[in-house]
Amino acid sequence: MTKVVILKEEIIASVVGPTGPEQRRLANKVMEETLRKASLSFPQITYIVSTGYGRINVPFSDRQVTEVTCHARGIVHLFSGARTIIDIGGQDSKGIKIDASGKVVDFVMNDKCAAGSGRFIEVIADTLGIPLDQVGALSLQSSHPVKISNICTIWAQQEVVSSLAEGVPVADLLAGIHYSLADRIVRMVSRLRVEDLVILTGGGAKNKGLIKALSEQLNRSVLVPPNPLITGALGAALIGKEMVEKARKNKTPIETRERVFKEVEIL
Amino acid sequence: MELTQGKALSTVERLYQDYGFRARELKGQGEKIIGYVCSFVPLELIKASGAIPFRIRGNIFEPITKGDTLLETIVCPYYRSCFDLSVKDKYEFLSGVVIPHGCDSMVRSFSTWSYGLPYSYFHFVNIPTVCEESSFEFFEEELNTFRKSLEKFFGKTITDEELSRVIRIYNENREKVRALYELRKADPPLISGTELTMTLTAGSSLPIEEANDLFDQVVAEVKARGSSPLKKGPRILIDGACLDHIELIKLVEDLGGHVVADAICNGARDHFPKTDVTLPPIKALSQRYLDKVNCPKTYRANKAGTFEGDIANRFGDIGAYAKEFKAEGAILYVYKYCDPFGFEVPARKAYYQSLNLPMLHLEDIYSAGTMGQLRTRIQAFLEMIG
Repeated sequence: MTKVVILKEEIIASVVGPTGPEQRRLANKVMEETLRKASLSFPQITYIVSTGYGRINVPFSDRQVTEVTCHARGIVHLFSGARTIIDIGGQDSKGIKIDASGKVVDFVMNDKCAAGSGRFIEVIADTLGIPLDQVGALSLQSSHPVKISNICTIWAQQEVVSSLAEGVPVADLLAGIHYSLADRIVRMVSRLRVEDLVILTGGGAKNKGLIKALSEQLNRSVLVPPNPLITGALGAALIGKEMVEKARKNKTPIETRERVFKEVEIL
Repeated sequence: MELTQGKALSTVERLYQDYGFRARELKGQGEKIIGYVCSFVPLELIKASGAIPFRIRGNIFEPITKGDTLLETIVCPYYRSCFDLSVKDKYEFLSGVVIPHGCDSMVRSFSTWSYGLPYSYFHFVNIPTVCEESSFEFFEEELNTFRKSLEKFFGKTITDEELSRVIRIYNENREKVRALYELRKADPPLISGTELTMTLTAGSSLPIEEANDLFDQVVAEVKARGSSPLKKGPRILIDGACLDHIELIKLVEDLGGHVVADAICNGARDHFPKTDVTLPPIKALSQRYLDKVNCPKTYRANKAGTFEGDIANRFGDIGAYAKEFKAEGAILYVYKYCDPFGFEVPARKAYYQSLNLPMLHLEDIYSAGTMGQLRTRIQAFLEMIG
């Protein structure tokens, strides 16, 4: 997904759109839509920071900052007491440790295997023919969560299909899948020595079943921002704003790219 | 980053890119080239036998193919790449190969090397994995066995006088490497990490006298820059096993950091310790290789009695380098299935914490294909400490 946040004192507008194979053109589209929503013209935007996997594919961005730094900035803005951030997206999952001043002090990432990311649940939801936005709630109806023994996404998918054939209720399977993903993520973030407040963000934070599985395994309550998909983009906007404010204070020039939507040729 | 590249650094780049071309030339002139891996092969003995030691390198851009029909994937990817290139005749100019007991992969796969490759000389250096009084006694005998084996193969006696002379040449080489490292101390450094590792890697493909000349020329050329052409950025120490390619270092430097210090095999681990010239040569070599080369494969008894004291003893050299070169962060870069480093990660992590030095732990598979994944982590780390 491609997300845009336009910020002045507070968020003026935000849009979440799909990221297709033609990332560079899509960044244009989502940006145009956000500008429309904010009733702003492109040249009115003072500074643009891009983040995430596609950060190098945003032709009009003035600076690129990693999603680790941006998520942390966005979350600290929303929860000043945040110490541990868990970000579960469709591409990867991350744990970020923050100190009392809001600075990132350590992080861990899984980007090697789909089984440790939100993709794991997407694949299983698809196999069971259940819309992604319903799997979390459905898993909460489970009375006997199934133990999923395969770690690999593809094998877990097969395991779910054969359990289904044996008559295992869908809710129990889904609960098992959520526990399985939560188990891997908790093991990864435990390396950071988890401390309260724990904030869950990214697409995974929209899934109630995952929130429950994570907080049970962490043995702590897990907080979720109101709009977990945009915390990275919000952080990027906040970083951009700070950079501009700093430059103005120090009277140093602000270098920006031209505010035009270019159709970038993709090889 | 645009650095002026004079003649010496152009030579370095050519030796690095077309690795082994000088050895091939020398072989054509009738010289004997002996390949080796790891920091634990006493190169002085090979040189004193009249042959030229040549460090076998892997290639992260070359997929491992033929090698995997002979070696299982439990062997670390770096070592598999070295073997794969050897099986594919990349090092056809070698007369033989010497492998030490540097890790599990080296000891377990030695026989595979010896029957999988067409060379006429193979030797396994049985360096102890503990470092006690009896280990030195054993290792001295083991060095004499290696000496006899070389004497037999080359039909030439290795005298103590010759060995002492060669030890001095190798010590000179280590001083020249030190001079290269001195160029890292400025902020921003006068020499980039990419240039330095490329220089050391190029040197490991040359006869020692030629490497010495090359290092002198590089030092002179870089000094002539006067001031650094680089932009200031976070100063990074790289810790890990053999990093015989520049891609990781280049990635750090492309993202605005500078690699200014290291504890890697073809860096400080290999090149800093010198051999004591006041001792009989075999005794001196035994002490240098067994004790002074600080590798996690060597078990050192906990003399401090506490965990904190133990890690301070074992990793003290890293802390000293971090201080000397003013490192602001460290990257611990470990190959998947690397047994010596893999086991050490938690202790090393604790050590960096005790130094208050931020550390990024990366596990990788010795492939150019993973550099994109590493990019986000390294960039986030630089943002964190910057």
